[in-house]
Amino acid sequence: MPPLLEVTALRSGYGPIDVLHDIGLSVDAGEIVTMIGANGAGKTTTLLTVSGAVRVRGGRVAFDGHDLTRTPAHKVVSLGMAQSPEGRKIFPRLTVLENLQMGAFTRTDKPAIADDLEKMFGLFPILKERKGQAGGLLSGGQQQMLAIARALMSRPKLLLLDEPSLGLAPQIVTQIFDIIRDLNAKQGMSVLLVEQNARLALKVAHRGYVLETGRVTLADKASVLLNDPRIRAAYLGE
Amino acid sequence: MPPPARKPFGLSWEGGIFLALLLYPLFPMFERGLFAATGRSLGEQLPLVFIFALLAYGLNVVVGYTGLLHLGIAAFFAVGAYTAGIFSTAAYAFQWPFWVVLPLGALAAAGVGLLLGAPTLRLRGDYLALVTLGFGEVTKFTLKNVVGITAGSQGLSPINPPTDHPAWSDDFRPFYYLTLGVLILAALLLRNLERSRLGRAWIALREDELAANCMGLNPAKLKLAAFALGSGLAGLAGVLYATRLTSTADPNAYDFNRSIFLVCCLIVGGLGSRLGALLGVMLLVGFDNILTPIIDGAIQQQFPDAGGKIFLTFTGWRLAVFGLALILMMRFRPEGLFPSSRVKHELHPDEAVSEPVEPITMGKTTGEVAAIDGGKA
Ligand SMILES: Nc1ncnc2c1ncn2[C@@H]1O[C@H](COP(=O)(O)OP(=O)(O)OP(=O)(O)O)[C@@H](O)[C@H]1O
Ligand SMILES: [Mg+2]
Repeated sequence: MPPLLEVTALRSGYGPIDVLHDIGLSVDAGEIVTMIGANGAGKTTTLLTVSGAVRVRGGRVAFDGHDLTRTPAHKVVSLGMAQSPEGRKIFPRLTVLENLQMGAFTRTDKPAIADDLEKMFGLFPILKERKGQAGGLLSGGQQQMLAIARALMSRPKLLLLDEPSLGLAPQIVTQIFDIIRDLNAKQGMSVLLVEQNARLALKVAHRGYVLETGRVTLADKASVLLNDPRIRAAYLGE
Repeated sequence: MPPPARKPFGLSWEGGIFLALLLYPLFPMFERGLFAATGRSLGEQLPLVFIFALLAYGLNVVVGYTGLLHLGIAAFFAVGAYTAGIFSTAAYAFQWPFWVVLPLGALAAAGVGLLLGAPTLRLRGDYLALVTLGFGEVTKFTLKNVVGITAGSQGLSPINPPTDHPAWSDDFRPFYYLTLGVLILAALLLRNLERSRLGRAWIALREDELAANCMGLNPAKLKLAAFALGSGLAGLAGVLYATRLTSTADPNAYDFNRSIFLVCCLIVGGLGSRLGALLGVMLLVGFDNILTPIIDGAIQQQFPDAGGKIFLTFTGWRLAVFGLALILMMRFRPEGLFPSSRVKHELHPDEAVSEPVEPITMGKTTGEVAAIDGGKA
């Protein structure tokens, strides 16, 4: 079976500058894959290019039988790819409930949406308590939960997660990663995870890629990367 | 626990204002009293306020809901007015009736909006502001220069009234109710739109375009829709304006000052808020057309020999007062005088947070939801 997401020789960037030179990676159905790398390596740009928010300049993106190389971002959601962008970009003036509903914007199956709302409230009870409040009034951690829940509202086959642990207290990070692992194990949702906390990411993921200045320099099973002396020195602070 | 009653007699502020305006002509003593006191007929002035409020609604769709800075709304107002001029005056063979020209003006303006928007809406905020500003000026100069079509600074006239009935010209009420009726219909349309999928999408886009894009919203299409609707409402206002003047007037009536004046109305009233647009226009038009002449009259009585000394007339100072008011506004109440509930939350989080935030019981939660959803009940 071909992988769910397959990225080949991807090149992209901003203005006159190429940021990604040669990215190749894949995510199988039911897999959690992580990308680690220094600040500015191009992790966020990779996610944005895969989802179509940044234009592909070379190479190819294939997802679930579709060629996404030229597909704009607003069309990939209904194909089953959702993204929780870096910096928890929730809509501050929409209520928590409206934020979640925006996540289901491309869906038309109302009863199932209502169902999924309840599921999100089950996963993140605080969102239920605050559902009538403006999203911007939530704490940073609550906003991150909202951003993830909002992405899940589209029922994605593949979830692109950019730094879900950014600025969160350790126990909330653990809680969020437990939820991600759970969704993967029970519903078979695939995840492409970008994370500064490389140790945590490699513990959760099945496989990992290491990015350096727009290129993939290492790819292996997460458990192998976790014990690789180069990784330990460069990304795990040992 | 039932949610607290926020609306007296089940009416919102907006509904209350519209009701009062609907009732005003039924009590001629008000009209006579005001006329005796100020020498001006409120019944004749208010339709102008309604027309500008309609124009402000249109601008609000673009600037308030969608967050695109539009500095050339007067051009679309002009498209409406000149549609009326071309299709209803004797200068052309059409001479179509008012009820055909009214929607036609809206459609024409929306069409021009689409033509301008399609290539330019991808531009970032400040560039779009420049493009719309330029378009407004170009439109004004074109109207002045293509004299063969627009009659230049003379304007096209006379524009046919909706009916030949003598009451049309003898009585302020038919036009009053016509403009108020269109305004109320527009308010109802916008109210429903704000709660619709499209309305939410506009707000999401304004808040964070990248995130909205990642949710499957198509920014280009949504902005174009906002632009078309906003322009269409401006065109509708333009037809009514020309009908009231019975002429398209001098192209200077559609210049940059008019566009900026409307942006000011929105800022003073509260960006994104329907009530704010309405009251912002009432306040500023009232200041300009009603208060300024009254103050001038009073000054003249006080200083009868002031003639020619411009510093002794209020008209000379009114723009300075205007500017000062805007600066004070930005400093102390950036959300406007009558903001939408969404904006209030964000700009004054300290006030908003004073609502119970920590342990929330179920009862309180429902209360809060009801308070925020209040407009939807
Ligand atoms: N909108 C943009 N315009 C221009 N350059 C950008 C833009 N966004 C990112 N870059 C550049 O692209 C490069 C890669 O950035 P990117 O955000 O993909 O890195 P990252 O790996 O996600 O880093 P971090 O770990 O800090 O989030 C950087 O050099 C950055 O300066
Ligand atoms: Mg990043």
